[in-house]
Parts: sequence; C-alpha cells; structure tokens
Amino acid sequence: MKRVVSVSLGSSRRDHKVQVALFGEEFEISRRGTDGNFDQAIALLQELDGKVDAIGLGGIDVYLYAGKTRYVVQDGLKLMQSVHKTPVVDGSGLKNTLERETVYFLRQNTGLLPPKTKVLMVSAVDRFGMAEAFTALDCEVTYGDLIFSAGIPYPISTLEELEEVAHKTLPDMCQLPFHMLYPTGKKQEIQDEEKIKKYGHYYLEAQVIAGDFHLIRRYLPFLKGQTIVTNTTTTEDVTFLREKGAGHLVTTTPDFQGRSFGTNVIEAIMVVLLQKPWPEITPEDYLNLLKQLDFKPRILKLN
Amino acid sequence: MAEHSEITASLRAFQEGYNKNKRLKKMNADWDRIVLVQANDIPSTHTLILRKGELTIQEGPPEKPDLKIISDSETLADMFYGDITPTQPYLNGTLKVLGTEDDIVRLDFISLMIWGE
Repeated sequence: MKRVVSVSLGSSRRDHKVQVALFGEEFEISRRGTDGNFDQAIALLQELDGKVDAIGLGGIDVYLYAGKTRYVVQDGLKLMQSVHKTPVVDGSGLKNTLERETVYFLRQNTGLLPPKTKVLMVSAVDRFGMAEAFTALDCEVTYGDLIFSAGIPYPISTLEELEEVAHKTLPDMCQLPFHMLYPTGKKQEIQDEEKIKKYGHYYLEAQVIAGDFHLIRRYLPFLKGQTIVTNTTTTEDVTFLREKGAGHLVTTTPDFQGRSFGTNVIEAIMVVLLQKPWPEITPEDYLNLLKQLDFKPRILKLN
Repeated sequence: MAEHSEITASLRAFQEGYNKNKRLKKMNADWDRIVLVQANDIPSTHTLILRKGELTIQEGPPEKPDLKIISDSETLADMFYGDITPTQPYLNGTLKVLGTEDDIVRLDFISLMIWGE
C-alpha cells in the first residue's frame, strides 16, 4: 500500500481519506488540514517525513508563474523545506499540464467553451497553463488576480499585462505571509459578503468561472447558470454550487469517491508512480501518465 | 538618520511617481484613505491623502488616519524614494503599518507598482 498525504493550510473540516487502485497498486490518499496554522503544518510535515510515499502541499502554492518566470512563495518554500526524505510537491508541476488539457478537452468534447466565451479566472498566476489555454482558444478572459487577491478592482484582460504586473509585484509580495494574499483556515468556510457586493458582478459578466476553488467560493454571488472550472471540491461544495445557481461544475482532477482532490495530491500520486525525482519529471511524463491513467475532467450538470 | 526634509522630498517623489501612473490612479479610484507617515527617531509627520485615485501630501499629522506607517526616518525616506521595498522592513519589524490587512497589502502593491522592477 502506497501512502500519499496532502498537508493543507486549509480547514480540517475538509479532511478526507480514500483508497484507490492505480496500475494495480493500492493507494491510501488522505488530506489533513491544519486550519491555517503554519506551525502545525510544519510539525505535521516533519512527522510524516520518511513515513509516507509522497506529500502534497495544499492550501498554499510554492511556485507561481507568469509567462516563463517562476515566483517562489516564501511561506510555501518554508513548508517544502521542512521535508527532507519524502518527495513533496505543491501541484504546480501538474497544473501546467492537466489544467491546460482540461480547457482543450472542454472545447473538443463539450459545448461549454465555444470561441469568444467570457471567462473569469479568479486568479491566473497559480494556474498560468490554464490561462494560456483559454487565451489560445480565443476566449475573452478577465484575470482577477488583483481583484480577488489584492482587493483592487482592476480587471486584467491580457496575459501581457498580467505578466507585467506580476513582474513588478510578485517578487516582493511572495515574501508576505501567505494568509495576507489567500484565504486560509476558517476563512475558507465563510463568504466575504462585502466583497461579493463589490466584485460579484465580475462573476455575473462571465460565462465560465475558473480557478482556485477557495477563491471562487469566497466571493461567489448567486449565479445564472455559469460553468465553474476548478478542483478540490467536496460533496458539500457541489451542493453549495448548485444552490448558488451554477450550471455545470468541471473539475480538472478525477473524482475519487465523491471528492475531487487538489492537483498537489494527484501530482504526489504521479511522483510515486513515475519513480523519478521530482526535478527530473517533465510535462511529457505527466501527460503520458495522464493518458495511461485515462484521467479525464469530471463534468457535472448542476442546474 | 534622515531629516524631515528628506522624508518630505521622498514623499514628493512617491507622489510624482503615483500621479503620473494613470493605471495606478484607476486601480485606486475606489480607495479613499488618509495615511499617517510618522518617523519614530525624529519629530516628523506627514499625511498622505488618497481620494478618488488622486494622491496629495501634507506636512503634519491627520486628525483621523485610516492607516499609520511608522518607522525610522532612514527607512521611510529609502522606502518612499523606492530604494527599498516596504516588504523587508515590514517583515523584520522595522516598519510598522497599522491598519487592516487588506489596506496593508494594497499600500505594498502601490509602492511596488511605482518602484517595482
């Protein structure tokens, strides 16, 4: 039995454990939230180090991308560097492959993403591959990084401007405590009603809302049948989205017993299956493995 | 140690950088704030007023600031001249910013948009 554990800065209420068989290998996959407690996350990582087959870091990114430039989130790096023996990943390696593929899958296999579709990405620097794919497929994309991470009501509409703003700001902003930039712990369980009033119209102007689920959830108004493209959703999240009027839910990671885990978990599984050191794994390795595993996005009609 | 006049000059440079950046004004059109800038090693206070995207500066403290920026005179002058970013002094405790986390992030962002690489 291979053990993969996702250690998350998110709420422990979302903890989950499943067993799946992949390529004839039994995997126990679990998620353990630390309610935004950074020290607790470090302690848990140190406890698991050397005792499990791979670790995913959830609720935080280590690497953000804009164009070809990679930015390192210092809090994420501290978590990663607290593990010395077990492979540890944040999902960013896989996101570039899996989420890009999801966008192309939607265009080729569904009617949910015709050309000129208006897309809101609540944040793009944490999934730049997806952002590039929407743009390549002639979608009209609004990048909400400044709106939803910095509280600045300035929609970015081109990848070039996103890269430029990222270049100016991310080297420093990545050094701030992560909770200042992203909802962690209990904040993931509540919506920010004030900001929903201010920024909810960006959701309503879009046909597809894509990106990190916790950001999407925190600022989500009542929708009018929009499609949500995300992952890390629980059964409760699906109910929540249905009640909020979302039309379809597309999760980029496969469903394991009613739960779409984060890319960090799937990347951790892949690292175990590939049996290669993480720095040596290429996007082609991920792509080939995804095909062999026949991982496809889950598409759920909600309303 | 910087002098009061150096802090004033640095704030003027910051104001100039801000006001010639049309995009930054647009970004902050909704953000009306009164900010106290106070040195803790010399008698020096200034007020930054952000209203409808425009930034003005006054010498002396405001009556009711929304945000307070407190540091030694050298750090304040360096920061508003763009020689250093606010992040490091904020993280090492040299710079104190008293206000909501959202406002602190936004101030940091403005500074980086003016002086960032």
